Amino acid sequence: MHIVRVLSLLIAITFMISQPVHAKDMVIKEPPKSLDKLYPPQSEQPRWTQQMHKLSTHFGAVFINLKEKDFENVDKHADKLVEEYKKTSEMVPEWEEYFDIKAAEAFAAAAKTHDMAKAGKASGGLGKTCGKCHAEHQVAVWTKYHWPSFHKIKVIDPSSEKEVDFHKFMKQISGSFKAMRVNFGEGQYGRAAKALKAFKSEYMELKSTCSKCHTTDDVKRFYVGGDANKAFAGLAKELNAEKPNPGNFWKNVGLVGKTGCKNCHLTHRTSSMIKEVWEEK
Amino acid sequence: MKLSTRLLNLLTAVGCFAIAGIAIAYFLINEKFEWIPEAALELVHEKELLERPEAKRCSECHKDIYDAWKDSRHSISWTSKTYIEASENRTKEKCLACHIPESVTGEKPSPRLDRRDEGIYCVSCHFINGKMNGPYDLVAPPHPTHRNPDYVNSRFCGSCHQKTFKEWKETGEEDTCQDCHMPRTKSRLTQKLPLSLLHKKKWVGNHKFLHGDLNDKNILMEAEFNKKFFNVSLLNNAIPHAVPTADNGDPRLYLYLTFFNAAGEQVDQAKEIIAPQQETALPFNKKVNFRYRLFDPTDQVDIVLKYQPAWSKEKDLVWEKTVRRKSK
Ligand code: HEC
Ligand code: HEC
Ligand code: HEC
Ligand code: HEC
Ligand code: HEC
Ligand code: HEC
Ligand code: HEC
Ligand code: HEC
Repeated sequence: MHIVRVLSLLIAITFMISQPVHAKDMVIKEPPKSLDKLYPPQSEQPRWTQQMHKLSTHFGAVFINLKEKDFENVDKHADKLVEEYKKTSEMVPEWEEYFDIKAAEAFAAAAKTHDMAKAGKASGGLGKTCGKCHAEHQVAVWTKYHWPSFHKIKVIDPSSEKEVDFHKFMKQISGSFKAMRVNFGEGQYGRAAKALKAFKSEYMELKSTCSKCHTTDDVKRFYVGGDANKAFAGLAKELNAEKPNPGNFWKNVGLVGKTGCKNCHLTHRTSSMIKEVWEEK
Repeated sequence: MKLSTRLLNLLTAVGCFAIAGIAIAYFLINEKFEWIPEAALELVHEKELLERPEAKRCSECHKDIYDAWKDSRHSISWTSKTYIEASENRTKEKCLACHIPESVTGEKPSPRLDRRDEGIYCVSCHFINGKMNGPYDLVAPPHPTHRNPDYVNSRFCGSCHQKTFKEWKETGEEDTCQDCHMPRTKSRLTQKLPLSLLHKKKWVGNHKFLHGDLNDKNILMEAEFNKKFFNVSLLNNAIPHAVPTADNGDPRLYLYLTFFNAAGEQVDQAKEIIAPQQETALPFNKKVNFRYRLFDPTDQVDIVLKYQPAWSKEKDLVWEKTVRRKSK
């Protein structure tokens, strides 16, 4: 049964991918309000996602059973697909026009001829309706309902021990980072060492945020892991030396900036930027 | 024979039978419950107890255990204010498994759909395959039971306390989580009179899941002045997991140092944050050293250790110490 599910998912995904986005611009629109009631916290479970799994299971099962010549099940899944497809079309009124009930019924009829070629041909019309909606809305739905919001995360400022908003903390840490670099550039090594201390303790606080979204420690090997730690150690070594070596210092600055800041931004900020626009209104 | 005598005899006889009956019941329930036919037990089972009822229902008999649980963090794992905040109003899908588990079996559980406000409750931890699983081989007339040795093993707790379990395992210590966090006392499992008297007293684990205390006996400190440096070390020598320890919570120890000169004026200060999420928690039986450079002449250092639980924004004092430079 598990394998069947996996296979059917794969088939359905193939359908989705086969539908190209025609224009070069991709517009990410905020999902319609009525979707809210199909996702937590309004709904206990992500009901829309579950509905998608049903569609894709029945869709895929038609083909798998055709291949296995289990025609009884072909008919059953074809009927179920139409039934679930109709049900789905009523779940979000704003999306009603994406559905083509006739195409679904035509597919079911073709499947019931038990002729693989006919079914394959008729699946195109139905698959297109899936693909169009996915192209226009899937990313937006992921961003809104599956990406937690950095804007709601608080970080403890290690110096005042007060909670601050995540973006404020980012400004603060980038200030400490800058203070260290500027002081070093001016040859003020004592001040640079002090700034490094503040910067390091703020950077350690960033580590405490990962578990607010992630449930394994493995992720901490990235951005805030070995490479960044080595770079911090390198910075401390230079700043505590009698005569700091600028080459080593700037090399480690570059490493912190890339592994410790930039890479995390590349994975986490895209969704944050989109959400910010929606939350502004 | 007088009527009154006859009545008395009758009553005595009934009394004897009753006492004998109770004695037999006591004997059967506590010693030879395998003699009680399965069918007889089925008759007295309360079917609704197997329909995943709320904890309150179990309290009709297991009152003391219920009261302790009600007072535990497990009972508020879903309604805790700090959890709601951290899980973005409970929308983060990854967080559900351990905070509203369906059934605990030694693996990471799956989340459940019903009775979420009960958090981690009796049914989550005890109801497996249609029976109340627990540490004992016994007979409970109201519901089927099953002796399951997992209940006295740390792995049970490790289903959710995954990181703490890993830390504990690495220490090789024998004391289990239950030994320290569910200390046992001899008493009854149920408090429904008079039926509970039919069951012998047994060891009952404290279902408050006690937090455990920190003090200067389990977090040892050593400190010394060494020329232009001041060295401090902390040692967790009694708690066989990191201190603090956490899965997704963020409990912390704060170590504050204040440096004074001979005139008693403050010349510097420093702070350490000791937290599992920052990978700086104190491991078991391994000294953690901190080193401070003394920029100004320093004669005295005040050291304060404070603890903040995962579910609180307040810090409690663990201990405070003063270290003076030895005069030559
Ligand atoms: C009206 C819009 C719409 C239509 C029509 C639609 N989908 Fe979807 N589908 C979505 C959205 C939005 C998502 C993203 C849901 C999410 O991640 O929670 C999605 C996701 C999916 C997924 C991935 C689920 C996952 O767990 O990531 C599958 C599979 C899927 N759809 C199958 C189908 C099939 C098969 C059809 C057609 C028979 C279909 N969909 C029609 C909007 C639609
Ligand atoms: C606001 C929530 C949030 C915070 C805070 C957060 N992440 Fe993520 N991160 C995500 C999401 C969502 C993904 C997408 C994949 C997923 O869900 O795991 C992701 C993906 C990742 C990935 C790549 C894929 C994976 O899951 O392994 C890494 C590595 C990662 N994060 C590391 C970190 C580190 C390190 C921190 C802390 C410094 C952190 N994240 C903080 C939400 C967050
Ligand atoms: C958890 C991964 C992560 C790490 C590590 C990280 N950042 Fe960020 N940063 C973010 C996210 C997410 C945002 C967007 C926040 C928002 O939208 O509120 C951001 C935003 C910023 C901003 C813009 C703030 C604003 O709102 O104007 C700056 C500046 C910044 N980061 C600097 C840094 C520096 C410097 C470092 C390294 C020392 C760093 N960040 C490390 C995730 C990270
Ligand atoms: C693998 C099981 C597991 C998962 C998954 C899990 N937690 Fe927890 N959580 C625990 C355990 C065990 C504790 C108690 C120990 C501690 O403080 O970490 C806890 C405690 C907490 C606490 C501190 C107690 C309180 O009520 O304030 C918070 C906050 C928390 N978790 C948030 C989360 C968030 C947010 C997620 C999802 C990102 C999550 N948890 C996912 C097991 C888990
Ligand atoms: C009507 C009374 C009653 C109710 C209600 C009740 N129990 Fe019990 N339970 C008992 C009795 C009696 C025993 C056996 C006590 C003894 O032998 O000392 C018992 C024993 C147990 C044991 C020990 C099993 C073992 O093998 O170690 C567990 C666990 C248990 N109950 C769980 C529950 C749970 C969970 C609920 C609620 C869903 C519940 N009980 C409701 C009467 C009850
Ligand atoms: C179903 C998952 C699960 C299981 C099994 C579990 N716990 Fe917990 N435990 C949690 C969560 C989640 C919390 C945090 C609840 C909260 O504060 O919101 C917690 C909290 C605690 C706390 C309080 C921690 C604090 O910060 O005050 C202790 C102590 C504890 N558990 C001990 C145990 C022991 C001992 C066992 C085994 C007998 C056990 N737990 C089994 C999930 C679990
Ligand atoms: C976090 C999981 C957890 C929860 C929640 C929990 N228990 Fe237990 N229970 C245990 C463990 C572990 C033991 C074994 C304790 C020991 O070492 O003796 C136990 C033992 C018992 C026993 C046998 C007596 C004993 O202490 O050994 C009974 C009866 C019982 N529990 C009833 C309940 C009832 C009723 C509730 C709800 C009010 C409840 N439990 C909630 C884990 C749990
Ligand atoms: C020898 C006794 C002992 C054993 C064994 C033990 N603990 Fe602890 N535990 C303590 C003490 C004492 C504390 C209080 C110190 C602290 O806060 O860390 C504590 C604290 C905790 C906390 C509170 C989190 C925090 O703030 O640190 C959790 C959760 C916990 N233990 C879980 C467990 C689990 C799970 C196990 C088994 C894998 C276990 N403990 C084994 C003694 C013990």
